[in-house]
Amino acid sequence: MSKKYSRRSVLRAGLATSGAALLTSMPASRLLAQEPEKPSEIIVRAWGGEWVESLKKGVSDRFTEMTGIAVRHDLTEDNEIQPKVWAAVAQGRVPPIHINWDTTTNATKSALRGVTEDISDLPNLANTTDLAKPVGLEGYPLVNTYGYVYVLAYRPEAFPDGAPKSWRDLLDPKFKGRIALYNDGIGFHFPAQVAGGGSLDDIPDNMDACWSFVREMKEQNPLLGEDPDFTTWFQNGEIDAACTISTNALAAKKNGVELAWTVPEEGCKFDTDCLWIPKGLPENELYWAKQYINLALSQESQQIWLDGLGLPGVIPGLTPPEGLAGDPSYPTEPADFEHLIRISSAVQVQNESDWFAKFKEIMQG
Amino acid sequence: MPEIPSKDDPRTTFRYPLRWRIMDALNNGLDRFWPARMSPYTGWALIMPALLLVGLLVLGLFEMAESSLHTLDRATFLPSEAYTLENYQTVIESATYGRVVTRSVFAAGLTVFFTLLLALPYAYIMVRTTSSVVRKTLLVVLFLPFFIGQVVRAYGLLIILGTTGVANNALGLVGIEPIRLLFNFPAVVFGLVQYMLPFAVLMLAPALTAIPRETETAASSLGANWLQSFRHVVIPMAKPGLIGAGLVVGTLALTDFAMPAMLGGGSQDFIANAIYDQFFRTADQGLGAALALLLVVLGSVIVGVVISIFGAGTLGMGGKK
Repeated sequence: MSKKYSRRSVLRAGLATSGAALLTSMPASRLLAQEPEKPSEIIVRAWGGEWVESLKKGVSDRFTEMTGIAVRHDLTEDNEIQPKVWAAVAQGRVPPIHINWDTTTNATKSALRGVTEDISDLPNLANTTDLAKPVGLEGYPLVNTYGYVYVLAYRPEAFPDGAPKSWRDLLDPKFKGRIALYNDGIGFHFPAQVAGGGSLDDIPDNMDACWSFVREMKEQNPLLGEDPDFTTWFQNGEIDAACTISTNALAAKKNGVELAWTVPEEGCKFDTDCLWIPKGLPENELYWAKQYINLALSQESQQIWLDGLGLPGVIPGLTPPEGLAGDPSYPTEPADFEHLIRISSAVQVQNESDWFAKFKEIMQG
Repeated sequence: MPEIPSKDDPRTTFRYPLRWRIMDALNNGLDRFWPARMSPYTGWALIMPALLLVGLLVLGLFEMAESSLHTLDRATFLPSEAYTLENYQTVIESATYGRVVTRSVFAAGLTVFFTLLLALPYAYIMVRTTSSVVRKTLLVVLFLPFFIGQVVRAYGLLIILGTTGVANNALGLVGIEPIRLLFNFPAVVFGLVQYMLPFAVLMLAPALTAIPRETETAASSLGANWLQSFRHVVIPMAKPGLIGAGLVVGTLALTDFAMPAMLGGGSQDFIANAIYDQFFRTADQGLGAALALLLVVLGSVIVGVVISIFGAGTLGMGGKK
């Protein structure tokens, strides 16, 4: 661990200079002398497939090009890295990763536990929209980097009359065993609350309508899985429809699967992912981890990264990827959010375990 | 009068072999490290690595037991300070965990039954065949899956049994529409049996080898046909192997994670999947630890019951028969 620089002095001297240098594509050789020692690599936890490829292209490769620091992507699942990071911080060890690419809900738990570094001094935060700011937390223990929609993805040939208009359309007996949901029900709870005849205002106190609709859906014997499962199941013809993040549907479509997606009348869940830094890193590594996130918030990085993911970012003026302008999975204008359901992270963090347990109780029956 | 060789005659100089010297040196070293007076404790010394290993496991279990007595504080996502049995209460009162435990035990039982049913004839043929080609072929077929991990094998089954997989394509040839072979309880049990079969055969083979061929010949000479001989001679004498294989297969199936996760379509969770969810999905380590301890207790009770019924001697441990 380098002891030559205090955190504050590093930030004062470094962020003001090399932060700007990174943004203007200044080569590594021209970064100023007061920068802390560069680590040989930094480790960024990421999701695999299209997700990590997009991050690599938009942020990691550019970071390496600008700083000379290699970026290693750790594809450990976000849920699995969490206890490892928590344990490392609790035991005063250096955490296993420098940056965690995480869901905002998961990251909020880490922030509440106090294992996240404050990153409110990143220069590029000044250019971000409100979406970047974590809700219900002091400062920036994490920064949201884009939003996404849990769309209803479907195979058009299974819906000859056009896109399904309602989540209830999936209750048609012909879709028995042909629907997929996340195995903890994430993304489905809120539209289910509406589809079951309830109100979003009743979340979290009264979600009977949600569970009623989940029970109806259970009768359809849905497959329950994770992100990669959806793509595989669509490709192998196992399912006709799924509640999944639009990026997975986009990836399947890029792989040649005939696929479309829609936001039914009850709405779809809108949520965000974020980047955060665990506590316990050496000062110099913390500095470069911050530079990585700062770069991820630059206009060019956001454009490349999110072109790959097909998701709206947190920097104004990004150009939508080809074919996604006006798409319900790519909301940018206030009107685009009318049919999207956004519940605060605080509510989700407090109640998520109960919702998962209830969903499991129904689905494991 | 024969010539008496002098003291310096090379014929009288005995050359002490090098390997003897090495053995002596090792013996001396061992005497210093472990003197003869310590010989009563030699058995303990040999068993010490195993005791250390088990000791570490027990320490871990104590840690988990301690962790299971704290609930998760969702305001800070830290374990609460107070000790409580709330996690155990949650497990006992939860209909979900009841179903998951029942499913795990039932699946483990079915897996043991079907695995032994397939493994016994396989092991018998492997041991009794007079053809070395047949024996070697059976051994290769048996060992091949060991070089492929459980996850890869499960993926193999996903490909073979999928809607557009080999099995459904074969059914299509006789005019049968594709049917859902995966993502249900039978698929999980099928995957477990396929995974456990080599373990069972390997445990049964020594037990069958230990049965003298002459006993079967004697049974035949007394009028028993092959089936009667197999039923009344081979199976009873193979009981230690059957019980041992059943215990190994049963405990491995009871604690399995991958097969239910991959072949169950998300709705056929076993206890290990429920533990994973608590540790890694909801970050509730206390509840996860309570479930893990429940699994340890459940597995231990089942093994204890089996041994108490059949006796440790059945497993060749020298206890009562």
